[in-house]
Amino acid sequence: MIWKKPWKLTEGFLIGAGLIIVGLMLQLSIGPIHWSLFAWPVNIIVLAVLLLIIGVVFILRKRVYACQFLGTYAAAVPALCYAVGLTVVMGLVRQVAPASPEEENLWLHDMLTFWPFVLIYTYIVLILGLVICKRWMSMRRYDFVGNVSRILPFLLNHLGLFIALTTATLGNADMQRLQMWTTNNPEMANMFSGADVFHQYERFAMDDAGLKHELPLAIELKRFIMEMYDDSITPRRYASEVIIYSKSSLHQYAATIDVNKPVEVDGWKIYQKDYRLTEASDASQISILELVSDPWLPWVYAGIFMMLFGALLLLFQGRKTVPPSNRQTV
Amino acid sequence: MLWNSFIYFAIASLLFWAAGAYFAWKSKATTAITLTVVGLCVFFAYILMMWVTLERPPMRTMGETRLWYSLFLPLAGLFVYGRWRYKWILTFSAIMATVFICINLFKPEIHTKMMMPALQSPWFAPHVIVYMFAYAMLGASFLMAVWILWSPRSSMPKNLGGLDNLVYVGLAFMTFGMLFGALWAKEAWGHYWSWDPKETWAAATWLGYLCYVHYRRYPHRRLPSSKEEGQGVVVIDRVALWMLVVCFLLLQVCWWGINYLPSAQGTSVHTYGM
Repeated sequence: MIWKKPWKLTEGFLIGAGLIIVGLMLQLSIGPIHWSLFAWPVNIIVLAVLLLIIGVVFILRKRVYACQFLGTYAAAVPALCYAVGLTVVMGLVRQVAPASPEEENLWLHDMLTFWPFVLIYTYIVLILGLVICKRWMSMRRYDFVGNVSRILPFLLNHLGLFIALTTATLGNADMQRLQMWTTNNPEMANMFSGADVFHQYERFAMDDAGLKHELPLAIELKRFIMEMYDDSITPRRYASEVIIYSKSSLHQYAATIDVNKPVEVDGWKIYQKDYRLTEASDASQISILELVSDPWLPWVYAGIFMMLFGALLLLFQGRKTVPPSNRQTV
Repeated sequence: MLWNSFIYFAIASLLFWAAGAYFAWKSKATTAITLTVVGLCVFFAYILMMWVTLERPPMRTMGETRLWYSLFLPLAGLFVYGRWRYKWILTFSAIMATVFICINLFKPEIHTKMMMPALQSPWFAPHVIVYMFAYAMLGASFLMAVWILWSPRSSMPKNLGGLDNLVYVGLAFMTFGMLFGALWAKEAWGHYWSWDPKETWAAATWLGYLCYVHYRRYPHRRLPSSKEEGQGVVVIDRVALWMLVVCFLLLQVCWWGINYLPSAQGTSVHTYGM
């Protein structure tokens, strides 16, 4: 009998199916999700609303059965099944970045803007939030230490994933990734910046859409380093010796930017992205740098490190509490 | 060339592992464990030699990751044997290691010293080693699930507790691998998660195993109570076992399957063997 209390996996699967149908209807009616709309301060408001919803559902759990159900394994397991299914679809269908920022509904080809995908992951976040509240409140004040040692791996894993998922998704719209072409050849420098006068440094960078952004810093390429393997085709190392001028501190920093070794100045991480070889000597190469600013990164890292620590505890602790039906006899 | 000496190390290791498996069947645990450890040392010595000769971690090509897998399978088997004394596990892990060693012997991939700058990172070794260890543990759990699914009722374990522990260890290591990868990606490519095909399949696999562990904690009302179980009633959840089979298939797609998936061609930073 369906919808007879207590709800089981069947009801969980039906709720997930309902979410997917709602998602498909949204996809048909209002089209794909535009993540750029979530830029600050919309993302912090959405996060606050999400936390509020979790709080309200948690408080209502004693009165409304559906609210109680969302905090159970019978809700979590189907939600995870749907997430696996949709993620597999994402892996099987070639993902395409929309060619233009205008309305373009790519459906399964752009899963990150596909409503059912986003709704199922949001549903998982909701369940995560509820079980965290549930466990946290179940910690009795007496014997706090004993409870903490038991609950800590759970909290680190679940809260870590909750924080990482929410902040990475909502913070994405605030992330800026820009490309800067630098050279130590004056003629080419003028070509990139479009300036009439030759500047030693570059202070503009382009986004994916080709829009130019003026930066709070400027970079001057002193020397591009290129080292080859013995076959003299395969690069072993490429790096840029640069001077970075900071607008805010009026300081200048000499730095070498290697692949895998970005340099951070004024909240911008500067990466060695690529290079262009020209006919001329080493003295006039083009070094392509990438500048990334991601204000939400510390939060995402907090979540990631919580999960790492949680996984470590999982390893050392093993399973101590086992439901009766699974009790170990081996 | 160093690769030519692989066969000697491989045969020596396999002989030790086979002997270890034999003594496990004979219930001589100490001898079995000692022989397996010696086999592991021989094999690891070869990997170390490659590491030194190549002047980089031998983890770049599929062939090189298979080397690590061949090492970690008997190690995972040893771990399981040491803890739960399943007699068959060392045989299984030795056979699996043989398969992967044979692939490397018959279809060797060219091992050069070259390594693109993006791979030259302190994260490279932990990312791959931890993942290969997770794959080996989850491979062992897959073998165990298949064995339980198709073995006669009388020889079944009483329940899946031992299997759960294997999955927990595998999942923990998989989490390390994935998050080390994220931290590395931030340093190398500017972002910690880009939904690159390999990452997408890694997420699907990770969620799949999460699904398994949560399903195992879901209280099954229709199954006999613990009282009956204590009296020797075999309680085997076939759905859970099939979940492990499906998860392992996802893992295979993530590991090497994406090299053949049309949707992943030319878009992944995780392409091996260039």
